[in-house]
Amino acid sequence: MRFVRNLIPLSVILTLGVGVACKKPEPAPVEPPKPVAPAGPTQEEIDAQKRAAEEAARRKAEAEAEAARKAAAAAEAEKAAAYKRAVEAALKDINFDFDKSDIREADKAKLQAIADFLKAYPQAKLQIEGHCDERGTVEYNLGLGERRSHAAQAYLVGLGVAADRLSTISYGKEKPKVQGHDEQSWLENRRCEFKLQ
Amino acid sequence: MLAPALMAQAPQGQEVVLEASAGTRLGIAVPRPTATGVPEAKVASDFHAVLLKDLDEAGPFSVIRAGAPAGTDPASYKAWVDAGTEWLLTTTIAKSGDGTVDVVAQVVDVKAAQDKKARTAVFTKRYTGRETALRRMAHKLADDLMARLTGQAGVASTSIVFVRQMSPGIKELFQMDRDGANVIPITTYRSLTLSPTVAPDGRIAFVTYKGGAPEIWGQRKVGGPNEKLYPLAGKPGGHCFCPVWSPDGKRLALVQGDRRGNTDIVVLDIATLKVRRLTDSNCINTDPSWNPAGTQLAFTSDREGGPQVYLMEEDGSNVRRLTREGTYNGSPAWSPSGSMIAYVSRFEGKFDLFVYKLGDGKSYQITTGVASSESPSWSPDERRIVFTSGSRGGMQLYTTDLSGNTLRKLTDFDGCQSPKWIRSR
Repeated sequence: MRFVRNLIPLSVILTLGVGVACKKPEPAPVEPPKPVAPAGPTQEEIDAQKRAAEEAARRKAEAEAEAARKAAAAAEAEKAAAYKRAVEAALKDINFDFDKSDIREADKAKLQAIADFLKAYPQAKLQIEGHCDERGTVEYNLGLGERRSHAAQAYLVGLGVAADRLSTISYGKEKPKVQGHDEQSWLENRRCEFKLQ
Repeated sequence: MLAPALMAQAPQGQEVVLEASAGTRLGIAVPRPTATGVPEAKVASDFHAVLLKDLDEAGPFSVIRAGAPAGTDPASYKAWVDAGTEWLLTTTIAKSGDGTVDVVAQVVDVKAAQDKKARTAVFTKRYTGRETALRRMAHKLADDLMARLTGQAGVASTSIVFVRQMSPGIKELFQMDRDGANVIPITTYRSLTLSPTVAPDGRIAFVTYKGGAPEIWGQRKVGGPNEKLYPLAGKPGGHCFCPVWSPDGKRLALVQGDRRGNTDIVVLDIATLKVRRLTDSNCINTDPSWNPAGTQLAFTSDREGGPQVYLMEEDGSNVRRLTREGTYNGSPAWSPSGSMIAYVSRFEGKFDLFVYKLGDGKSYQITTGVASSESPSWSPDERRIVFTSGSRGGMQLYTTDLSGNTLRKLTDFDGCQSPKWIRSR
């Protein structure tokens, strides 16, 4: 019966498999076995013990899996938050002078940050939107927005970004960022916006 | 656009009274119509007021309002003449039992009658339609009076297609009568819809962003559905803007972006789908406008620095600069006769309308004022221009004659752009 008693937890352990520490079997008895009284655990007791052990192991495994899931989710969330922070930090509008599409000195650092972001996140693709202020004609501004988006694209390609990660679109003066009608509003509206694709 | 029920009867075959170019205006008096079966208020608002506005804006008429005598019988002719009247237009409106409305219009040349000339009734015409067609009957009468006076059909019955902002970033096409009535939507894409153009047979084309990138959509057939016209299926097209039907409606001039951010003018043959590029320069080329023969185009380009208006042949050859004054000129619109090009010029932060007369090689300023005036489009009879005007972004639609003296506001809502004045659709 010792053999049987020893074997039961072991078999339980084996069926439970991974993650549960195995107990070493007790050392073999030195003395020859004495006659054993027929009294011992009943079959019911053995089964109950088995069930309890199985339940404990299952709970432990579940708790560990849950913890692993939470840890993974937290890591994922942190990664997403870091990505969002990186997006927000990097994808800033750049602005232009009236009727110009030249990259301004002040905006070169912003474009470098965008290039760095794209190097850090090789899966990211951007659409560059070219926009104008309200003071030109509708049709000419569509052309000007086109040129601004390509100027930003060309500058980023010059910083080592693959061109196929940068699409362009012109909205002319059709989608102003701010509704004001003064120099500051016009400057804010003469812009390229960088949108994740 | 005229309903079958609305038919002008008794065609006139008489001599033209005034040449279109004549500077003098004919005094016309339009007493209140005599009406039976139609409420007086309805006649006043839907017929009389509409007709007076049409004649005011037509150009060669001077509507007599002050000093009108009470009657319209021959005994009153002297008093009408004394008030400045040449033509006395009387109208009777009668509704019959089946709901049909008859309008009979008659013009007596009271001056000729005063001078005891033989023929004094210079115009008699009958119009028939439902009561809901009173506005259109008034427009038709105004157009017939113009034809009688000048030999050229008037434009009272014409329409204007334009872009209207519904909410930020959402713009749709609309159409309305030339006097601002009957505003109806053409598109409901809930996207950016821009730059409408209408062929002589009424087919429309425009730019839409509904698929993301700007594409040119429109009608291949009269009355057909709007479908994608450009870029062509299976071919990379780049971004495209600003479609303009050729005068014969067979070709579409449009603006196409290249890989470097430049834009060129290309011409698409709708039947063969052949595309011909007319410009190829390191700059913005946009705003194509055909001459009425379809042999030349005016366009805007910044090839010499700032935007200026240029002309070229339909194959892209013989490019020459038209505008010489100002640092920002654009939106050329070739006039229906081919003799003038309207455009806008920017000065001190706002645009004004100008007209370049090709005959004398000079520009004339049409609008002045604090508002910015943009996007000119000619009336089919070349007497007026529709355009957008406003300040602080609140653009509405206006029309003006070339003197700038009869400015008329058409809309009572903001966010209007790119009007196109058309005969029919």
